[in-house]
Amino acid sequence: MTAADENLGEMLARRGFGRRGLLKFAIAMTSSLALPPGMAVAMADNLAAAKRQSVIWLSFQECTGCLETLLRTDSPTIAALIFDFISLDYQEALMAAAGGAAERTLRQAVAANKGKYLLAIDGSVPLADGGVYSLTGGKSNVSMLQEFAPDAAAILAIGTCAAYGGIPKAHPNPTGAVGVEDVITDKPIVNIPGCPPIPDVLSGVLVHFVSFGRLPALDDRKRPLAYFGTTIHDQCYRKPFYDQGKFAKSFDDEGARQGWCLFELGCKGPTTHNACASLKWNDNTSFPIESGHGCLGCSEPDFWDQEGGFYTSLAGGTGPGWRDAGIAAATGIVLGSAAAISARRNAPKGTTET
Amino acid sequence: MAQGCLKNFNFLADDGLVDTLLMEVADLLENFLAHGRSGSIDLAGLPLSASCLAALEQRLGHGEISAMIRVSGESETRETAFPGVWWTSHADETGRIIAMLIEVTDVPDILRAGKADMARGQIRLQAATSFAQARRTA
Amino acid sequence: MTLLSFARGPGMQVASLIFIAGMFWRLFGIFLLRRRVAHAAARHPFPIRLLGGAVTIFTRTIPRRTFWPRVGAGVALSYVFHVGLFIILFGGAPHILIIHEIFGLSWPGLPRGVIVIASGITLAALILLLVRRLTHPVLRLLSKPDDYISWAIVFLPVATGILLSGETIASYGTLLALHILSIEALMIWLPFGKLMHVSLVFAGRFVLGYNFSRKGAAT
Repeated sequence: MTAADENLGEMLARRGFGRRGLLKFAIAMTSSLALPPGMAVAMADNLAAAKRQSVIWLSFQECTGCLETLLRTDSPTIAALIFDFISLDYQEALMAAAGGAAERTLRQAVAANKGKYLLAIDGSVPLADGGVYSLTGGKSNVSMLQEFAPDAAAILAIGTCAAYGGIPKAHPNPTGAVGVEDVITDKPIVNIPGCPPIPDVLSGVLVHFVSFGRLPALDDRKRPLAYFGTTIHDQCYRKPFYDQGKFAKSFDDEGARQGWCLFELGCKGPTTHNACASLKWNDNTSFPIESGHGCLGCSEPDFWDQEGGFYTSLAGGTGPGWRDAGIAAATGIVLGSAAAISARRNAPKGTTET
Repeated sequence: MAQGCLKNFNFLADDGLVDTLLMEVADLLENFLAHGRSGSIDLAGLPLSASCLAALEQRLGHGEISAMIRVSGESETRETAFPGVWWTSHADETGRIIAMLIEVTDVPDILRAGKADMARGQIRLQAATSFAQARRTA
Repeated sequence: MTLLSFARGPGMQVASLIFIAGMFWRLFGIFLLRRRVAHAAARHPFPIRLLGGAVTIFTRTIPRRTFWPRVGAGVALSYVFHVGLFIILFGGAPHILIIHEIFGLSWPGLPRGVIVIASGITLAALILLLVRRLTHPVLRLLSKPDDYISWAIVFLPVATGILLSGETIASYGTLLALHILSIEALMIWLPFGKLMHVSLVFAGRFVLGYNFSRKGAAT
């Protein structure tokens, strides 16, 4: 049996991980995915029997932050080995091949895994002017997406750019950037938003797919419910301060130093769905609110253009501005005076000005 | 997502919740004795405060077995004062708890040796004994 | 654009502009109207007349004792509602925050528990006021759609505010959007309906007191 034929269980065994290691991983995964704990054994058995799952990763109009976040697991854990196994057949930043060799790699991977590969996309898809604003090897992102989506088993839109358009889509959106779901409408898509997304979410989705052959339950924005079913606010450790009305009024004031709620400093936690408050970042180290800055809402669509910007609270927004308010007042005065004058003209005889 | 619940929730230290969980354990035991079906409760998926968790652990008590499993960090499974009811916690290499369960079964799955692992072990054992034999006859 | 971003953006702008234009329209439209000439000489000099007007604003806050049996319950209930609303608007942290964001003014808020209790009492008073309007034969006769619309348009912000504060029934984002939109509806309606009493009640009392003072009558 060659390395290409072996299944995940055999590969792990070669590296010194037996059934117990895989079962422990599966138990943690079922918990993370909010699946019934009884499914852990089935997941472990399915993973052990799993063959290589081809993942083809296309990078579009992106900053590479999403890929970087997924590479930040530096401990040689069983999780890392499993993801080694879930073969990344094509990824432009990581692979050694370049130019023509890279293009051949892509075509071979697609041909060898037709109908079975997962298509991972990061970055938005620019549509303006025929999509010329982002090209790979002379081909526009939109044409690549339309070429490789039909033969994929499912599409993973990784990061807010791929999911909803992200920063390129921010006003005035000169490149006509959109998310993957606005281009491909006839394939199962999982959105894994976040700027960047939490690495564990991608792991969870991949493990679920490899173990059970289908994507996990999704919400109405196509996000995995297990990770995006609650808001940051729901799980935030500073919620007791919100409930008690203890708010930081400015950065580094006494309230901020006491770790009070950041609502008044623009935190968008209450309207942002993500798992940052529980899973946290950098191996459960911290997340923005714990580090003293309000949530930006980076896993929600159009968060760059939100009314009032990052530092206006949810209670506020964008008002008309004093100039426009003045014009409105003047308009009102004109209308009111005109109405009064017209009424005076029509008043019965005998009444005169006091 | 689930692991965070243990630390981050400040719910009422509710004895009622402990009682409910114990009733669920009793149901799972009944299910196992009648049909041989194992069951488990994922404690990380529940809004349990630290005091609630401690109360639950105290009510379940300690039994005859305590086993440490060293793979990808330390995991521990110990039988509670109720035979067949096990308290299992899994930690990763950094010591962070990644899963905590109550399992109702005769032997928790994590303790069982996998057949494929045993087969691989058998090959290694045969190699070791044939080598020893070869050395003796040499 | 989501409902919430509409409410926090274009909705807020349009409602604010209509509110400002509407208030100036109505106030100028009323104050510039012709008034009947008083041919008799004034009994008091101008400053006293002004004082009479100002004092009347306060003396009319409580009805005369003679009228208590007839109007007492309605007035008391109405005050409970208005005071409750005042507590919510000027004691509640998110409302103080909005005032701070617009005008730069700020003051310490009241404890959340106080606001919760005040909100409940305000909502109850509002419902009882509607019941009173529907069951009192004279009030029912006099009531027009304007009265009921004005009631509903005040009820919605109070009700959605309570739901938002309790984070119940729907998601936070949806509740916040509904709360803000209901307030925008109130802002658009206010200058043009019975709710204009927020300014006219004081103007009306002042004019009454000024005229009485001119005639030498008690205010």
